[in-house]
Amino acid sequence: MTDTAPSITREQTARVQTARVQTTRVHTALFAEVTQKLRLRAKELLESGEVVSVIGWEAGRFENQTTPAFITDANKVDRLIFNEYCANTLGKYVLSEKLDGKVAVCVRGCESRGINRMISDNQLKRSEVYLLGLPCPGMVESPEVSHASEPSHAPEASSKLLSKCAFCTHRQPVVFDEYLGTCEATDETLGGLIPKPIDPSERFSDVEELEALSLDERNAYFEKLYNNCIRCYACREVCPCCTCRECFVDQARAGWQGKQNNLEENRFYNLTRVFHIGDRCVECGECERVCPMELPLMKINRKMVKDLTTLFSVPEAGLDSETISPLNTYDVADLEEYL
Amino acid sequence: MQLSKERVDAFLAELNQAVRVYVPARGEAVSSFARYGQGTEPAFDLVNTDMPPKDMLFPQTEKMYRYGLDDEGKPFVDATFDADEVVLFGVRPCDMRSIECMDDVFLTRGFIDEYYETRRQKLTTFALACTAPAPTCFCDSMGLNAGQAPAADVLLKDVGAAWQLAAQSEKGAALLGKYKGFFDESDVQDAGAKNSDSVSCTLKVDMDGVKEKLDQMFDHPLWEDITKKCLTCGTCTYVCPTCYCFDISQSNRMKIGERYRCWDSCMFSVYSEMAGGHNPRADKLSRVRQRFMHKLCFFEDRYGKSLCVGCGRCIQKCPVALDISCLIDDIGAAELAPVALAGEKGAGDGKH
Repeated sequence: MTDTAPSITREQTARVQTARVQTTRVHTALFAEVTQKLRLRAKELLESGEVVSVIGWEAGRFENQTTPAFITDANKVDRLIFNEYCANTLGKYVLSEKLDGKVAVCVRGCESRGINRMISDNQLKRSEVYLLGLPCPGMVESPEVSHASEPSHAPEASSKLLSKCAFCTHRQPVVFDEYLGTCEATDETLGGLIPKPIDPSERFSDVEELEALSLDERNAYFEKLYNNCIRCYACREVCPCCTCRECFVDQARAGWQGKQNNLEENRFYNLTRVFHIGDRCVECGECERVCPMELPLMKINRKMVKDLTTLFSVPEAGLDSETISPLNTYDVADLEEYL
Repeated sequence: MQLSKERVDAFLAELNQAVRVYVPARGEAVSSFARYGQGTEPAFDLVNTDMPPKDMLFPQTEKMYRYGLDDEGKPFVDATFDADEVVLFGVRPCDMRSIECMDDVFLTRGFIDEYYETRRQKLTTFALACTAPAPTCFCDSMGLNAGQAPAADVLLKDVGAAWQLAAQSEKGAALLGKYKGFFDESDVQDAGAKNSDSVSCTLKVDMDGVKEKLDQMFDHPLWEDITKKCLTCGTCTYVCPTCYCFDISQSNRMKIGERYRCWDSCMFSVYSEMAGGHNPRADKLSRVRQRFMHKLCFFEDRYGKSLCVGCGRCIQKCPVALDISCLIDDIGAAELAPVALAGEKGAGDGKH
């Protein structure tokens, strides 16, 4: 490890992240309209008994902060809100909520791809969820809470696009039972409110920057990254691909994963997880968002996605629930230049 | 006694020659206490650091002893209790209280943890009184005063161009005496002096009766509600300055083994799993309840103080905004089952 090792801040994960968000009246109106529709439909679904629970967001204690909400009482649907601070991707919650019956869940691009992922992985049946599609213009950070200890955070910082939304390629839900936006709410029309989804030619620019580093520099980059990991496993818990009944980390008797916090063990955990989810990652970016150490965890996931896309023409994961993930298939025509 | 802000660097550099000095510093991504010098820029303006200073006394991974067979095939065990002299400079009152909590755990009630004790004896603390709490700070609701740190060896107060120094222990007085050349005896406060005598947090919670209520809330439906959103990751426990649960394990290579202990988290199911596979806290609800009960109820039973110091780190870092201050509100508002009330008659009056 050297002092000149490339920086490991999330700032670099996607260049467009620094784009400032222009909040407009159209924007505010869209959120208000969707929130109204959401409450109405949640009430109807709960009253009719079609679902036992609606998963969405409600206001947190602080301004510009939301928290996941689980509404089971039709009289409490007014707790639900939808605004630009709905940072949590909710899809994975259906796995625990569905135990009580059919669950309605709000889905944007990221949630919907996660739902498809879990259906493909036999964790969920399509009939167990009712999907309320929401138009997503991208979400923004609320540093008032996450960086509260900084004495003077610039006020404009609150309008910074979440890094996970900066590299998102599908903001609108790819699967839903009903859509609560207006028909016109597409990436094109919403693009005027919050910066458009990343341009396909720019999509892997930060991965290319990493690839361009020398072996030593890359090694230094990852050593620095994994040295900073505290192994809280938030990345695993939030991941829609991490659905193993028993994670290799927790197989104490087998002892794959030592409990020490050091570079070797941290690297072993992170790289093993990357390989486990590598061909299935839906790029929701939740692992990176939840990381308390603010490590750019998506960079290596997106390197895997890039290789699958460019070397094997594998479609993006989670766009449907039928496509078999690439490491579950074998094709004699696969590129195997080392053989 | 005052230390001019212009001379802080000279003082710390000199001190750092004799002991290991740690200061709050911004890292590339998050802030923590970092070794002074070697390019570390102290960040005394941070309200508190993202990572607490608990690893100064209780490292995330700590080697306890080595064992094995020596070259002649004889078994050996070597335990080492060794620590460097450390000065923690610029620690906040909430983190000082957290050290008091850890002292209770590791040094009282008939058991002394020698690893902790060795480090604790070699630690000198310079606490920095708060003047502007963060929006997530609520220490004054947890019985602290943001302008005071009674357990610190030295208390620093911002008086503008200088810091007012007050020794609060023999250790602190001795250290100040040794470096008195850096200090002057003035008591001047200039226009830049910041008020640290009546600091008030904007975030308030009402702790009155919370512990007594929790005594009756083990089976309350409230836990189900808050458990739903919890990911049971270890973020809150690892950024918490007072969470002290650990696991002891070992790694063996050839004829030598090493026993170590490392942070663990009650949020993890494997934490409470026993040999043979039984897990008394197998479900998520029981783990979430355990953490908050420990903070707000069980620790008070045993040590007479809350294990939450109101630093706000878990509020800042929880990935799903499961906010302990909201939980305290919810506990206050919760209705207790009438049966429980009758069975615990007068529980609310018997506060100490």
